Amino acid sequence: MQTEIIQQLTQIAGSASSVVCDETELLVYECDALTLFRNKPDVVVFAANTRQVAEIVKLANTHRIPYVPRGSGTGLSGGAMAIQGGIVIELQRMNRILSVDVENRIAVVQPGVVNLHISQAVAPYGLYYAPDPSSQSACSIGGNVAENAGGPHCLKYGMTANHILAVEAVLPSGEIVRLGNPAGETIGMDLLGSIVGSEGTFAIVTEITIRLLPRPQAVKTLIAAFHSVDDCSQTVSDVIAAGIVPAALEFVDDKTIRAVEASVYRAGYPLGAVAVALIEVDGFREGLEETADQIVEICRRNNAYEVRVAKDDDERAKLWMGRKGAFGAMGRISPDMLVMDAVIPRTKLPQVLAQIDRISQRYGLPVANVFHAGDGNLHPLILFDSRRADQVDRIFEMGEEILKVCVGVGGSLSGEHGIGCEKKEYMGMVFSDADMETMLRVRAVFNPGGLLNPDKIFPSRRSCTEIGKQTTTSTEEIGKRVDAVLRGAH
Amino acid sequence: MTIDGLNASRVLQPASVEELAQLLKEEKGSVSPVGAQTQLHFGNPLRSLDCAIDVTRLNRITEYVPGDLTIHAQAGVTLGELERALEANNQFLPLDPWNGPGATIGGIAATNAQGSLRPTGTIRDWIIGMHVVEVNGNASKTGGRVVKNVTGYDLAKLYTGSIGTLAIITEISLKVRSGYGRTATAVTRLPDFASAANLVSLIRTGPLQPVSCEWIGPENEVWLRFGEHPRAVDWQLKNLPGADWKILEGTEEAEGWASVRSGYQKLGPIVVKVIGLPATIADIVAESRSRAWIAHVMNGIVLSGVSSIEDVRRLRRTHRVIIERASLEDRRQVSTFGLEPAEHELMLRMKRTFDPEGRLNPGRHVDGE
Ligand SMILES: Cc1cc2nc3c(=O)[nH]c(=O)nc-3n(C[C@H](O)[C@H](O)[C@H](O)COP(=O)(O)OP(=O)(O)OC[C@H]3O[C@@H](n4cnc5c(N)ncnc54)[C@H](O)[C@@H]3O)c2cc1C
Repeated sequence: MQTEIIQQLTQIAGSASSVVCDETELLVYECDALTLFRNKPDVVVFAANTRQVAEIVKLANTHRIPYVPRGSGTGLSGGAMAIQGGIVIELQRMNRILSVDVENRIAVVQPGVVNLHISQAVAPYGLYYAPDPSSQSACSIGGNVAENAGGPHCLKYGMTANHILAVEAVLPSGEIVRLGNPAGETIGMDLLGSIVGSEGTFAIVTEITIRLLPRPQAVKTLIAAFHSVDDCSQTVSDVIAAGIVPAALEFVDDKTIRAVEASVYRAGYPLGAVAVALIEVDGFREGLEETADQIVEICRRNNAYEVRVAKDDDERAKLWMGRKGAFGAMGRISPDMLVMDAVIPRTKLPQVLAQIDRISQRYGLPVANVFHAGDGNLHPLILFDSRRADQVDRIFEMGEEILKVCVGVGGSLSGEHGIGCEKKEYMGMVFSDADMETMLRVRAVFNPGGLLNPDKIFPSRRSCTEIGKQTTTSTEEIGKRVDAVLRGAH
Repeated sequence: MTIDGLNASRVLQPASVEELAQLLKEEKGSVSPVGAQTQLHFGNPLRSLDCAIDVTRLNRITEYVPGDLTIHAQAGVTLGELERALEANNQFLPLDPWNGPGATIGGIAATNAQGSLRPTGTIRDWIIGMHVVEVNGNASKTGGRVVKNVTGYDLAKLYTGSIGTLAIITEISLKVRSGYGRTATAVTRLPDFASAANLVSLIRTGPLQPVSCEWIGPENEVWLRFGEHPRAVDWQLKNLPGADWKILEGTEEAEGWASVRSGYQKLGPIVVKVIGLPATIADIVAESRSRAWIAHVMNGIVLSGVSSIEDVRRLRRTHRVIIERASLEDRRQVSTFGLEPAEHELMLRMKRTFDPEGRLNPGRHVDGE
């Protein structure tokens, strides 16, 4: 990168410490939590405010340099990876909660605020921010908006999109706009709603007004252990069919249980189980006990051999720790893994899990399953050994086959991690050229020059695999990252 | 067919999406999609109308999988038809738009029509996928058929509320809800404005979580609907703040809410939606010099019947205001959405990218602002 541009960036950011261009330091920014694909940006600049973001964007425009916004870098689809190099605009330092309006149950925050910090800050008022990605102790709210992040509790409370009321954003023209309103009411077209989930390709969000919810009066969390995957899947279906709206309904398989129980995230999951359902209900105290009993009954009817209701908050937290640490614990059973994210209609769970199992056997590579079962959001983890070239060659093919199965039953390519760089070549599985052409035209309305976060989401001539030459998906590295995530040590 | 005083020279009723696409490929004039015609007055005045495309023959529920809590319906299916299909499995769509069960699902989405039932949002929050045909006859889709999905851009958000000015909606995929364990409605009438304002403020800051919470004036009635586990509903009924409450259930409850809906139809002569904050609704009602109103207490939104466009202009100095219903005469003088410059510019670019010649419902939306 030309020194002249570095100088100008330093001037905009106000100090040399806000600009990173040292080759070794840049290594941190060559990927997000999808370590498989890497490419170093030319420079990283830490923005301190909206005006700086706008000026950086204008500078990038003048010199026609691609630029990529980045929050905490916990993304799992390569969204914050600088495919074409250029400038990474790091928003972590814009991390203030600007205001909390307790009476109207809204908060205004900067994009770099860590998801969990919001709930912590408003807890004294009996409020919280509902979307809770497993990475919530590290991921930024700006990254959540970009990815339309989900989480276990989105089953009842909806995704990020349902909780964003208004934003201030810097458009690729450098213009600063405000969209939405604190009532969350759409006026005209829902431009805000289209920005949420645009994976950082429409605009850089610099201030966010979010909806807060009152804490539920009571919560009940239970786990049920099964000797068969089908019984566990059937339980999922039956809970939903009974008209219950659980706050969360998660599926954890035997491989995951072994990994979790051997790790620091040990949660007391039954080791002999082939599958465990982690179920939570919340709401008014009245009636909750009955609902929990009804779920226990459904589990037993489906041959659960052990059902345990968490006695207190500690036990509840432990059960969740195991689930949230699951990706990180995989190092206990495999040197490498590929985290997948796909959605299927939940009635197809038994069928699809069986098909994934067959694919796994055919390829000779194990798959661990730990996922948001209530909304059919699968996370098959393909376990392999990167030292064995024959295995590495097959993981993509195998992943693609699994995605085809999911799409084949009416599912989709991603429930929450996004397409980013990882799955862009697969978009043709679900969208026709005409569908994608329409989407690209909409992108051009926001991002006509295409400098903001280029080469993402849609198939391109330059595939991601060509970019990341030295790829690795070591579970150890992922483990370290997850550990950092869960400790919030970003 | 007449819309905003314009007579359509042709009214076409395609029986399939393919036929609709073919019609559009051949059509060179201005085109207005219409459904059950319950909302034709909504939006800025239509500028020209060569061809009306009635989509009510696209009336098939293409798939309904109760176990997945999803339903897929063509745009011409009415809300009532959807409700009947869902009822068989004790499921429902938590929407009760003012234009009633006769409205088509496509029309409800296109106009972002809403009502009192808003447990977790409006129609945009229940849409999981959409198929559209653009003015040039090209068909495309966005979203998918599953309840959770972040694959590709969510263009359904843009089509919702665009009053058929970007593309013609042909099919919508929706997620639905299991029926509430029990519903009950509590109604009370307060002696005056101040005591009603006080009561709704108590409710909104208290522990109750009504799925509808309406303050209706000038009668100063407060309507609360609860939908939950039967015991949670009981608990909420027991913990209603002090007032003389009447509890409605069953058919009485349904009739009660139907009467609120017809109350909306009687608001006027100009009906505006004033967007504020929960804590400011009493001020909004006062400021709008409302003749009659329905306020969504939990959302900070007031539907207010005002006397003249002067009132609208005055309100717009302090609030975002959407014109819900007004005479053609009035709509000629004051724009429907009152867009801010930056939004206006983006929406206009959006309109141009979908419909460069401005043939879809010309003047209705941003191009008439
Ligand atoms: C252990 C682990 C568990 C996870 N669990 C979940 C889960 O349960 N649910 C889930 O949804 N995700 C999960 N994720 C994925 C990830 O945490 C989310 O996608 C998260 O929203 C990313 O936030 P971030 O701040 O790290 O964003 P980054 O990774 O920094 O960026 C993500 C994308 O957002 C863009 N972006 C960032 N900030 C902005 C901004 N201010 N304006 C515009 N664009 C911006 C970037 O360009 C990029 O495209 C998990 C990840 C890990 C490592």
